[in-house]
Amino acid sequence: MKRAIGILVLVLAVVAFGFAGWLFLARDPMSFAGGSTVALADYHGTAMTGVPTQLASADLVKRGEYLTHAADCQACHTVPGGAPFAGGFAFNMPFGTIYSTNITPDKKTGIGNYTDAQFLAAVHKGIRADGLKLYPAMPYASYSLMTDADALAIKAYLFTLAPVNAPPRPDQLSWPFNQRSLITLWNVAFNPDERFRPNTGQSPQWNRGAYLAEAMGHCGECHTPRNLAYGLDNHGKFSGALTAGWRAYNITSDKASGIGDWSDTDLLAYLSTGHANGHGGAAGPMGDAADDSLSYLLPDDTRALMAYLRSIPAHAGDLPRTVTSAAPSSYKQGAVAGANSRGEKIFAGACASCHDWSGVSPVTGFATLTGVRAVNDPSATNVAQTVIHGVNRKTAEGTIFMPAFGEGYSDDDIAAVANYVTARFGAKGAHLAAKDVAALREQAAQQLKEAPNG
Amino acid sequence: MLTLTVNGQSRQVDVPDEMPLLWVLRDHLNLVGTKYGCGIAQCGVCTVHVGGKPVRSCQLTVGDVGTRAVVTIEGIGSTPNGAKVQQAWLEAAVPQCGYCQAGQIMSATALLDANPQPDDADIDAAMAGNLCRCGTYIRIRRAIKNAAAKSA
Repeated sequence: MKRAIGILVLVLAVVAFGFAGWLFLARDPMSFAGGSTVALADYHGTAMTGVPTQLASADLVKRGEYLTHAADCQACHTVPGGAPFAGGFAFNMPFGTIYSTNITPDKKTGIGNYTDAQFLAAVHKGIRADGLKLYPAMPYASYSLMTDADALAIKAYLFTLAPVNAPPRPDQLSWPFNQRSLITLWNVAFNPDERFRPNTGQSPQWNRGAYLAEAMGHCGECHTPRNLAYGLDNHGKFSGALTAGWRAYNITSDKASGIGDWSDTDLLAYLSTGHANGHGGAAGPMGDAADDSLSYLLPDDTRALMAYLRSIPAHAGDLPRTVTSAAPSSYKQGAVAGANSRGEKIFAGACASCHDWSGVSPVTGFATLTGVRAVNDPSATNVAQTVIHGVNRKTAEGTIFMPAFGEGYSDDDIAAVANYVTARFGAKGAHLAAKDVAALREQAAQQLKEAPNG
Repeated sequence: MLTLTVNGQSRQVDVPDEMPLLWVLRDHLNLVGTKYGCGIAQCGVCTVHVGGKPVRSCQLTVGDVGTRAVVTIEGIGSTPNGAKVQQAWLEAAVPQCGYCQAGQIMSATALLDANPQPDDADIDAAMAGNLCRCGTYIRIRRAIKNAAAKSA
């Protein structure tokens, strides 16, 4: 008996150890590339950190500005419509809500008193100047790959901003998630706190792309699924995940559910403007990423990012292959309404004038639905979110605008129209119910609802 | 300088590409029959035809018009269906305040161009995006049917 228990314990220990090892392997976002890596100091090729050569002679603040865009600090440290970098952006999670902090150089409520060492500790280790641990909503597990020089250039830029007095908003977390000391364990498991190591088996362009994607752009924080402990599971690297109520799509090289089928022209267009004809445009968090970050990258950096993305191992997702042909031009043909007539009626009144019954917009390529990933996603998550929040993006290619319908239409209406749109223009119709839409609203909410009459 | 074809005429305008077509029509070409309503493509009052399709001119930038022909309420009466719709509009005394009717007539004409004998469901599907705050929908529907009868 004793022996049996002993064997059982041993087996469990091996399994646990193996599982830990499996998780451990998944924490290096670049392990898929194999080959050997060296410390930056030992790498004698082209520089792959810092700014592109065009900016190499620019002053520290200018370089810091470029890197601040590349690291997309602004998207999360800004409330929609609020002062840039003043914090307060809500992260709604199943166990509560936390808010981003003020990173303007305000001495009382921002980071005005941070020393270089304190700033590096926050960026690399997730430790605030007062010693409190940051939640990993701050992507320090990604930023830990960033060089000290780049992080301090970002600090130099942030310190040129006008200080904004914006006190932190208190977290609303349930126990045990409100115990910040537990983050120490998470950090041991998921933040190696190591700087970027170039891969000697890969090209300088690939390495630059890796640095931009992992250390700066932190793409995986939204596009890589998470494990039970909320760490990134790089076994499914970039294969898509649900983040803040929006679906971050599969951006692996899989042809059906990733971006393997995209031409270089389309991919470069999407990465530099947040829109590619025939694939649709970014909305929600990816719209912010395009507008605040990706659109600022110089063309060589965009190409490097693409080279790196192209190397991500294909990972088949659960999304059906995108339908690339237009729907019929009459509402009577194609996916017809039947029991779903509410969705069709709403589409006729609110959507058809720009999106057309065919899905090919007579107004602008930005509004064409044919080939768009969101309408081919049977969860209709991003369709519903786009209907609720609309799109209002200023890009180099012009304004991309769609009204927000969230205030004027009920959850039932939005579910009905999202189901209709996915059935008519996508591979497979969604089956959203009003409660699903209510949940999506909740996850993406940026402001606490005002109390009635309050 | 952009060249547009508006109501069969070639017109040159010196405006930025991102200017909405509605601004160009009203402020630069003095075609003020097309009205401004909501400004977000939700009311239909600014509807014009672009390449034969009804389009909300408040959301279409002039740079995106390309070579497509533009027809406005000022020119629609010169098209066979446009003339019939306008005549039917008079006979049924459709407008009340009249603000939406340029857009209504443009959408109704596009409907008849695509579908000469629309039934009620066809009319709903084509006209649902054109709001009338006076509530003249019954007369709009009747006028479209009368115009269709003339087509036959």
